[in-house]
Amino acid sequence: MVNLIKYELKKHFLKRSILIAILIFSVINFIKIHSIYQENSYIAESTSPIWHEVYWKLYDQFSGVITQEKIEELLSIYRPLEQKTADLTASTRTDDPNTYTGNVYSDYYLLTRYYVQPMEYAYMYQFAANDIVGTAQNNMIFYDEIGNKYKYRENQMIAKLFANRSITDLSYTEMYQYYLEYDFSSLLVLLICLYGLVGVFVSEKEADMDTLLLTTVSGGRKTVLAKIIASMLFIFVVCLWFWLLDFVGFSIIFGSLEGAALPIYTLKSFENACINLSMSQYAIVSAVIKTGGMMVLGEIFLLISSASKNAMLPFSANLVVTGIAILHKEIMEGSGYILAKIANPFILVANSELFRQTEFVNFLGIPVQSYVGALGLGILMGIVFLFLLLFTGRKNAIVKGKAGANNEL
Amino acid sequence: MNILFKNISKQYKGKYALKNFSSSLDNGVYGLLGANGAGKTTLINIFVGILKSDMGSIVVDGMDTREMGLDFLSHIGYMPQYPRFYKNFTVYDFLLYISTLKSIPSVLAEKRIKELLDIVNLRDAAHKKIGALSGGMRQRVGIAQAMLNDPDILILDEPTAGLDPQERIRFRNLITKFSGNRVVLLATHIVSDVEFIANQVILLKEGQLIKQDAPEVLMQEIEGKVWLVSANDKILNEKAPHLKISNMYRENQCIQLRVIDDHKPAENAVCVSPNLEDVFLYYNSEGEQW
Repeated sequence: MVNLIKYELKKHFLKRSILIAILIFSVINFIKIHSIYQENSYIAESTSPIWHEVYWKLYDQFSGVITQEKIEELLSIYRPLEQKTADLTASTRTDDPNTYTGNVYSDYYLLTRYYVQPMEYAYMYQFAANDIVGTAQNNMIFYDEIGNKYKYRENQMIAKLFANRSITDLSYTEMYQYYLEYDFSSLLVLLICLYGLVGVFVSEKEADMDTLLLTTVSGGRKTVLAKIIASMLFIFVVCLWFWLLDFVGFSIIFGSLEGAALPIYTLKSFENACINLSMSQYAIVSAVIKTGGMMVLGEIFLLISSASKNAMLPFSANLVVTGIAILHKEIMEGSGYILAKIANPFILVANSELFRQTEFVNFLGIPVQSYVGALGLGILMGIVFLFLLLFTGRKNAIVKGKAGANNEL
Repeated sequence: MNILFKNISKQYKGKYALKNFSSSLDNGVYGLLGANGAGKTTLINIFVGILKSDMGSIVVDGMDTREMGLDFLSHIGYMPQYPRFYKNFTVYDFLLYISTLKSIPSVLAEKRIKELLDIVNLRDAAHKKIGALSGGMRQRVGIAQAMLNDPDILILDEPTAGLDPQERIRFRNLITKFSGNRVVLLATHIVSDVEFIANQVILLKEGQLIKQDAPEVLMQEIEGKVWLVSANDKILNEKAPHLKISNMYRENQCIQLRVIDDHKPAENAVCVSPNLEDVFLYYNSEGEQW
């Protein structure tokens, strides 16, 4: 089997065209990450050198564990600025030596965006979390009284999830903020997989090898299994490459890995996150789920191409399927139709939507978190597609033992 | 080795591609001869398991192939019609791959590949990409891959289609080389392919077995039915639509016709010895049409 897998890799994936596509897409990915940095970061060294310098100068002073002293120190700088800029009559000169950045307004906005708001959010988060826990507990009492077990369990899970949540540290989070919601590389991986996988079954027909394979001992189901394993390995390697490239790209371009150990809800967009993981843990979990989702989509690509005689038709069909999956995911984003949302395997590929909110699906009267449901459905689809690939393909009639058996004279 | 085909039938959309085909084959070369659509490829595809027959069974050395299952595949070597193989594989890699598919241990496979590359005269091309080979060389790769497992049954589907005369002769000689102690089933519609090398010819027409015998016997059977007729253009135009003409050539002002007919077709007709092409035409063709 190992040899068969090696040959399948050689046949379909170790091609110059695929390697060139990976190389070109890697460069495009890097450029995209850079453009995100340039467009979104106000402390980018290349576009805002002064803010960059001032931010990192103040960072040593205010980062780390949030203490009363740090809060007071920050407010002692911030309050006067707030007052000066409140009526918009402060000096607009840009070379004021009594400011950090040369301008009062600039100092005010820098401190507001990068220190005061994050510190306020971090400080207030545990109170907000406690409020959620309190409300959930009240709901539990209410639903217990009216006998709604499903809602009772749902609130019980919310209370458990948000209990003891707090953000103790102030840290630079800009890199993780964009890195953890970055899905462009997923699209690139999807396109490469689509291109690579479309030929796995079709090329046998195009080379007239499909019939020859069926007449060999290992050319039937074993070869189909080898094709599937080789395809999954290909997807895994392409995913691994791009996920690593994302991490390296964001780390290098944003220039910091700070905040990796902080909880995911440190990011404002993950305020109501449904998991209690650190940002680095979440990055790994997300990458694993993305890879799994890509494998399910890969199986769909393989299924479609296995039913075709030439590469053009399945390539187009797979593109359409990809388009529908992406469109469906976009339409469903933020929607309350949780089941419809998680039934799309693409949600596993662009999965931040699954983790940003705490949502539930009703599974036989038991509340299941939407990401768990999406994972379950993904695994189920993966197994079903795997069986379809293995058992619906053309087989040798003799090996099946049915060649004319019903009507033997 | 004995192969027994018992009443094999196969229909496509209500039309028989193969109808009650029965035959017995022992070691030797069998030329499966028939016009396009006669059922040759259908029979071969059923034999190797690519197609499922509607009726009948195939028995190899007393055992039904269905009972043999996977084991049957280790006894056969099959070369499909118009193989293109994998363009990005070298000849050597491709043969190694087929060895893997045939579950041949790697050490044995390497030895066997070297032997076969020598036999098919492809040693120098062993590390060439298949995409860079000529049609004839690719066919030789085809027969080499079929022979990797030293099969008891070698099945070749239109192996010389598209080859130039020199390659065709070379290929025929290869088949003869490989035919010792095994059954070789060679499907073709090119009569000369089997004329010189087949021990027996199986004639198929519209899915049915017409004749199966040694070429000499088949030719003997139509002895006295092949004629050489000298005609001019006028006579040719008048008579040609009613005659089975296997060949014609111009000689001076006359046209020499090779006519297949149960009766003497013209006063000046001279009876000649039949060849296999005449046999094929006798059973298959409706005659040359003008």
